[in-house]
Amino acid sequence: MNSKFEGIVLENSEKIVEMWLEEIGTLRKENRTESISIDLYESTNREFVDVIFTSIKSHGSTNAVEEFSEKIINLGWPLSYITDGLQVFRRVTIDFILRQSERVDTEYISNVLSSVDEWVEPIIRILVNDYSGNWEHIVSLQRVALQELSAPLIPVIDGITIMPLVGTVDTDRAKLIMESLLQGVITHNSEVVLIDITGVPVVDTMVAHHLIQAAEAVRLIGAKCILVGIRPEIAQTIVNLGINLTDFPTKSTLKKGFLTALEITNRKVVNVKSSENDIEKLIESIQGE
Amino acid sequence: MPIPILKLHNYLLVSIQTEIDDKTAIKFQENLLDKIYKTGASGVVIDLTSVEIIDSFIAKVLGDVVAMSDLMGAKVVLTGIQPAVAMTLIDLGIHMQNIPTALDLEQGLIKLHQELGE
Amino acid sequence: MEPQTSCVTIQKEWDIVGARHVARDMARSLGFSTVDQARIATAVSELARNIYLYAKKGQIYFDIIDSVDRKGMNIKVIDSGPGIEDIGEVMQDGFSTSGGLGAGLPGVKRLMDEFDIESEKGVGTVIYVKKWVR
Repeated sequence: MNSKFEGIVLENSEKIVEMWLEEIGTLRKENRTESISIDLYESTNREFVDVIFTSIKSHGSTNAVEEFSEKIINLGWPLSYITDGLQVFRRVTIDFILRQSERVDTEYISNVLSSVDEWVEPIIRILVNDYSGNWEHIVSLQRVALQELSAPLIPVIDGITIMPLVGTVDTDRAKLIMESLLQGVITHNSEVVLIDITGVPVVDTMVAHHLIQAAEAVRLIGAKCILVGIRPEIAQTIVNLGINLTDFPTKSTLKKGFLTALEITNRKVVNVKSSENDIEKLIESIQGE
Repeated sequence: MPIPILKLHNYLLVSIQTEIDDKTAIKFQENLLDKIYKTGASGVVIDLTSVEIIDSFIAKVLGDVVAMSDLMGAKVVLTGIQPAVAMTLIDLGIHMQNIPTALDLEQGLIKLHQELGE
Repeated sequence: MEPQTSCVTIQKEWDIVGARHVARDMARSLGFSTVDQARIATAVSELARNIYLYAKKGQIYFDIIDSVDRKGMNIKVIDSGPGIEDIGEVMQDGFSTSGGLGAGLPGVKRLMDEFDIESEKGVGTVIYVKKWVR
């Protein structure tokens, strides 16, 4: 049966292609391909339908389909174009075959349906798999990029390290922050770490809890942790939520925190040259001459 | 095998290198207190750099040993707690709030020196 | 990978250390991070100590979960000890009948990803815990 239908379809391929092209042409609005030029749209349609026929002729050889899917993914065409195209092909073909024969009973229809499905299914499977594989790949790349950004650690001077946090802190990220914080303390041999939360939009009980845990873990491995970048609204939420941060030194700005860190490590910032003195010396030397 | 306790001036140095089971931990507690009593040491550094696991029991023994030594007039600093161990302790809910810590043996000795004002 | 199972019997104090080793080795071979290796080993240590202290004898079964989308470790702890009368009570932080830190079971729950406990008085206790490779 299958080969008989295959014969019908291949012999009348031109007619079917024509019907298909006509229908797919009307779908431009729906499948989000309006931005694509008419020439490119039509040539891609031709290629698509060729690929479908090649696949039917070769009884499920996937090479042509794979090449086509790679091309169309690279061009960024929507997946709905592919699924619409195959649906239309299915409808047109079934319609065509049924119209070719005089004797149409239930069994015949069911045979036609299963044969056409047999042609279309492998193609749709490959294309959808390729598309979703491509998306998953992008998502995993972005996840890695996000992870790299999520807990940076900057050793500013001997013994003092800063971790600026930007964005929302969730449980997974909090774990990552803690790990990289502790590892950083060990690698940089830091006495004091400053966690800067200027870029954290919301500090709720959960975020505060994670920060307290991180600070406690830092203390366990033998360093001190100062929380800096507490904006007024953050201070308000912390107190209103009843979060106890008393065991945890906090400062409003990174600058103040850094000065405290210098104090803890027995250092301070000194001007190398005082400009006033320079002028006095200059005047003295002129007077001396 | 008992954990060796070394004396340096009036400090005692302990480096825990082996996997500790409950008995060894208790034995160590006794030995350390004994040594503090005999030597009159004023400070103790317990280095945990090579300890891979601290569960609630070992944590309790360590916490107790710090409190007990304090009673006998010797200050204890724990050093070299590994990040993985610290995180596990936090997850367990053990915060060791009143126990002084330092990054490594050297920092531990400096800390003792500062706190004892010698 | 073939599903692997190993079982440790807890009867002596030193068995606690043995169970820790098995847990850590398995966690390492599965590709858990150092921190998660420590978490798993510590959780097993707590569970093994509970057996040793309260039930005197029990078994810990370690299983590798290797499904299509994720890998992990499944640990089942069985004892035929006195059982736990009030599970809600032992799951509270700071509850202890042994004079320990009371961090035991709630601590284990925090260390692992999934935690389940069944206990019947006079029959024994079964605890299931799971950790997924991140």
